[in-house]
Amino acid sequence: MMDPSTLNRRKFLSVAGAGVAGGSLLTMLDARQAPAQIRGTTLRILQWSHFIPAYDAWFDKFAKEWGDKNGVKVRVDHIPHLELPARMAAEFAAGAGHDIIHNGSSILTRLYYKSLVDISDVFGSVGRKYGGWIPAAKPLVEVEGRQYGVPMFYILLPMLYRKDLFDAAGLKAPDTWELARVAARTLKPKGHPTGIQFSQCADANLNWRSLLFSFGGAEADASGDNILIDSKEMREALRFAKALFDEGMTAEVFSWDDASDNRFLASGIGCWIHDAISAYRTTEDTNPPVFKNTVIGLEPAGPAGKRVSVAAANVYMIWKFSKNQQTAKEFLTHFMDNDLAGMTQSRGYNMPYLEANYKKPMPVIGTDPKMQILQDFPKIVAFYGYPGPFTTPIQEVVNLYVLPDMFTRAARGHAIEDVMKWGMGEYRRIYAKHKRA
Amino acid sequence: MTTASLSGGPEPAARAVAVSTPVRSARRAWWRTHSAQRKVFGYTLLAPAALYVLLLVGAPFLFSLWLAVSDANVGDPVASFIGLENFRAAWEMDTFWIAFQNSIVFLVVAAIFKGLLGTSLAFLLLQEFKGKKLIRGLVVIPFTLPIAISVLSWKWMYDSQFSVINWALSRVGLIGGYGSESWPIWLGQPHLALAACIAVNVWRSFPFSAIVLLAGFTAVPLEIIDAAKVDGCTFMQRFRHVVVPMIFPILMIGFLFDTVFTLSDLSVVYLLTQGGPANASKILPVLAYQVGIQAGNLGRGAAIALFLVPLLFPALFLVLRSLKRREW
Repeated sequence: MMDPSTLNRRKFLSVAGAGVAGGSLLTMLDARQAPAQIRGTTLRILQWSHFIPAYDAWFDKFAKEWGDKNGVKVRVDHIPHLELPARMAAEFAAGAGHDIIHNGSSILTRLYYKSLVDISDVFGSVGRKYGGWIPAAKPLVEVEGRQYGVPMFYILLPMLYRKDLFDAAGLKAPDTWELARVAARTLKPKGHPTGIQFSQCADANLNWRSLLFSFGGAEADASGDNILIDSKEMREALRFAKALFDEGMTAEVFSWDDASDNRFLASGIGCWIHDAISAYRTTEDTNPPVFKNTVIGLEPAGPAGKRVSVAAANVYMIWKFSKNQQTAKEFLTHFMDNDLAGMTQSRGYNMPYLEANYKKPMPVIGTDPKMQILQDFPKIVAFYGYPGPFTTPIQEVVNLYVLPDMFTRAARGHAIEDVMKWGMGEYRRIYAKHKRA
Repeated sequence: MTTASLSGGPEPAARAVAVSTPVRSARRAWWRTHSAQRKVFGYTLLAPAALYVLLLVGAPFLFSLWLAVSDANVGDPVASFIGLENFRAAWEMDTFWIAFQNSIVFLVVAAIFKGLLGTSLAFLLLQEFKGKKLIRGLVVIPFTLPIAISVLSWKWMYDSQFSVINWALSRVGLIGGYGSESWPIWLGQPHLALAACIAVNVWRSFPFSAIVLLAGFTAVPLEIIDAAKVDGCTFMQRFRHVVVPMIFPILMIGFLFDTVFTLSDLSVVYLLTQGGPANASKILPVLAYQVGIQAGNLGRGAAIALFLVPLLFPALFLVLRSLKRREW
């Protein structure tokens, strides 16, 4: 405590001034009041058209209300997620466009970081406020120790299976990949095959990685520099996928896109699929009797009991050419403060990256008994490149669908060693090129 | 009046002026002559088109040439010259050769079907029948519909489970039911996937071929056709020896357009299959897009796209040579 005898007028003013300033800052932060200098600015946001349309309606209103409150004119543009990389390239080339840009599934932080704003401050303050980020979040946005994006949410692809069909055939829940295979083998002859995309789409990239990593396989080491695909586990995963296809699927999986498995489940044909809960919601809306019997399961375990669920990441970034960087930062902070509202509006589709938001019961998924299991996924969530980060070469591997093509070749009957040779050739060629660069 | 003037010649003073004037007026006359003015007027009219070609075709082409020999990527504003490295790398890609082969198959098969269907349709539209104008308007609908909408409709028709084509074939007993061996998976079986993409391309483009041919057919004077009939020519003989030679320039231009449109058709394959299954329907524009834009390697993508040029050159050469010969 300060000795009153040493307190002169100068000291009193400086201490009181600091106290008032600190108090005001704390009040401002507490109320999340944006600084006055962002008034009169314009904020343009580019993001995907969400699979849950109601989320887009909520987000647009949410952004507008924030803008009205802070004197910022906000404009949100939605485009299909597959068009985001092309739009990003165009805006980069033009040096103009939106202030905030969304990356979905294909996270391009490492490719563009020189042209993105370092938002380590936002990443750090939001993380501190909400008990930190889940471990898988940081590698998505971090380059050379700095964060160039804010992870906004990710999309889980759990097991969705028909409990009525499983019960009728006396099958156990697909808690392991082997049990899932047994179920497919049993139910296909009864007119209920299973299906996972053996095609060039985002779900194929995610699903086959979940299988591979649960089998103990890995894509790249922790540094991200070394390929780890050439392994016993990869070969086992390929053999398993081939058997799963032969015994439990039909050739239609070669033509599937990201929505085909949704329709497959909703039609009442599929016995199980490994997909985002948009499939669950589609079934709820289009086929209530099937929905009633559809259950969400935890990620199936591999032969050694390992579970890894590869999710579709979503990240926000700010362009360096943006003239409203401060406004964009303020908006992102506000958005992360309302992370759980976003989760509610997406009907439990958007999973948070912030540890504090995993407090049970979580919105939507915590109150629906069939969805409660999704609350246990954060511990097993991974992204492309696991266990390494989502590097630029991995990004190219993902965008060229090398891994799904390996599984497709195996399912089509190519010898496993031929598949490995082809796949390793593609990985090495891509890695070598990036190393040279 | 002087004697000189009487004899028709100018006065000496006037003659001096007349002699000295041509030197000055010759300098001015180059600009003022009728032919020079016509030339200037002609070039002025041509200038917008030339500028258009230079800016909108030449500049991007030169830029893509530069990209192809550089290590440009979407996230880095600075690119360095790396010679033919991108071409070499593309050459070594297994997928590149599959795409190259598919592009040729796509081009040739689509051209054959578009030629056959376009010619048949053009002949049908030449006939007199009720509602001809309406039908002529309707046949161009596939060509005028936004490509994304029409291709997505086809995607539904090719759906592995809900395909209306399959259900119709199944109802008439040509194939088994859903899930049977004979149920075609249009976009999931390698040869069917490529064939399905070609079919959509043909469906979209053959009305264009028909309209081009129709324009040519209507330009052939009826007297010549009648004369050929009187001489005893059959329909095929009239078509081969009278109609085709007369509309040859139109045919060639149509062929050139069609080749360019088909080879650069990214949308149909990208929207239907993204080049799958396992690259079975991948063509060069799709591969160039995936490598150049989605994976961020602008240089490599540009190099892959430039491999379309050698495919286009034979068509271009053939057309221009044929047209040149006919000028003689």
